Amino acid sequence: MKMAWKEMKKNKLRYTILGSIVFLISLLTFIISGLTNGLSQDNASLIKNLPDGTFYMEEEADETYSFSSLSEEQQQEITEAQPEAAFFSIQMGNFIDTSDKQRSVAYIAATNSSYYPQVNFGEVILDASLEEEGIAVGDEITNEQWDQPLTVAGFVNHEKFSHSAAAFINPDDFQALFHTDTMQIAFVADSVAQNSNEATAFKELQAFSNSEFLNTIPSYSAEQLSLNMIVIFLLVISGMLFAIFFYMINVQKLGIYGILKAIGVKTGKLFQMMWAQMFIISVISLILSALISQAFQLLAPGGMPFHLTWPATGQLSLVFIIIGFIGATLSGIQIKRVEPMQAIQQGEM
Amino acid sequence: MSLFTMKNVRKTFAHGEVKEEILKGIDVTLPEGKITALTGASGSGKSTLLTIAAGLQTASDGQISFEQQELTSMRSEELRQIRAKQFGFIFQFAHLVPFLTVEEQLALMLETAESSLSKQEQKKEIRQVLELVDMWKRKNAYPPSLSGGEKQRVAVARAIIHSPKVLFADEPTASLDSKRSQEVMRLIQRLSKERHITVLMVTHDMDMLDYVDHVIEMRDGKIIQEDSIH
Repeated sequence: MKMAWKEMKKNKLRYTILGSIVFLISLLTFIISGLTNGLSQDNASLIKNLPDGTFYMEEEADETYSFSSLSEEQQQEITEAQPEAAFFSIQMGNFIDTSDKQRSVAYIAATNSSYYPQVNFGEVILDASLEEEGIAVGDEITNEQWDQPLTVAGFVNHEKFSHSAAAFINPDDFQALFHTDTMQIAFVADSVAQNSNEATAFKELQAFSNSEFLNTIPSYSAEQLSLNMIVIFLLVISGMLFAIFFYMINVQKLGIYGILKAIGVKTGKLFQMMWAQMFIISVISLILSALISQAFQLLAPGGMPFHLTWPATGQLSLVFIIIGFIGATLSGIQIKRVEPMQAIQQGEM
Repeated sequence: MSLFTMKNVRKTFAHGEVKEEILKGIDVTLPEGKITALTGASGSGKSTLLTIAAGLQTASDGQISFEQQELTSMRSEELRQIRAKQFGFIFQFAHLVPFLTVEEQLALMLETAESSLSKQEQKKEIRQVLELVDMWKRKNAYPPSLSGGEKQRVAVARAIIHSPKVLFADEPTASLDSKRSQEVMRLIQRLSKERHITVLMVTHDMDMLDYVDHVIEMRDGKIIQEDSIH
């Protein structure tokens, strides 16, 4: 470690360049990852904010929540087996605010649910993003197809679905507005489920875990897959960069390695030196990237979907270090191969 | 039983289908605590013999024994340990580690040799050896700031700091002027006597033979003459 640090101090420019590139790649990865999570939240925070549990939809709905319709009997059956089951329906729609502006929202009506706000008849509770856009408590929102306007009763934080703000309404309003008297989805949280070891099976109903249910949201999995691939590519590129840079650095140091091997220094010690350098560079670069990406999260415009938690940053950093370790080790194969005689015959370094 | 002996050592290099025998059955016994010089024209095989003796490359055939251990049949890790603990090396160029100070070069050698000395004793030993080669005042200098003679004196100090039993020197004065060459040779001679180190040295400079005890002359991969001088 001491030798690794001494060499870095004597070759500041070389290692600063390597560190800068690792810093830029890791910052880019953190930012893309933040945007991925942000878009994921934007697409499905309504579902992601729920605790782990089991979702039920009609089997005939073919995994499309909007086609699902749980009859009174089915709701009764679920409630008998799982008294804490919650029922809700989602319908994409729009409304016109007091300034005559049309806005897209996801209407949600829930019964028997502590996960979503309980709303009085004739009222609506909106996602806080709409408050930032000028809608206030007491405003009346309308729709050409409605007989009566709804009054904004409050706002909730981070409740979005399919990139639209959530609008929680009373189940009776939902029935009147969308001409339906059934609920689409049942949800049983693991923490309150009876026989919580495995999900209860119901006839003609299909059960989904949280992640399985997220994938039924149109475009969710395709969007996440694309963004995750970008993050994975950046991680792979960073590993290759480590390999290429350490390869170049090692080529320049083959003479020193050869002489050190000639006088009896263990090959393992030379690898340790390289790993220590990789670790020092990575840790400094990752700390800087993490701080900057967190600062970006604080300063980013409110409408930008960016969400990067410290645990997620920590996990990504760990992956970076593991990939850097693999890259540096691959480049270090030369150290193993270098023959002392080559270095001695090379002349003065 | 001698400290270091070589019997019927052969080395063949293959260039495609053409094979070239560089060493043609060498028998050498190094006199313990003395300096043996390998001389001969360029291409006579003296440097190859020295590097094979030092375990830096393998012989094609023959036996090399050090303290009754057969070096030619050792695994590479065992050989590394012998190189680190029992052998010292001085090359034509100093080959110092550019990012370590003079003092740290010696500390690294002690660490490599897994010295049993305590940290305090190691510091004392480093000081003693650096004073011996007159480099203590330059202990904090880095190699790029040292002159050729200074670098070679540090290389000598590095080669003996761990009290090796055999010192291998491949043209240790070739990169130095005659004054510096004599200084370095006097130093090797003194260290060999004071620390009872057996030295095998390659040189093409006949003036350096004034400092050695035993001379082996080689030609075309064979020993043609062997003399004890002192």
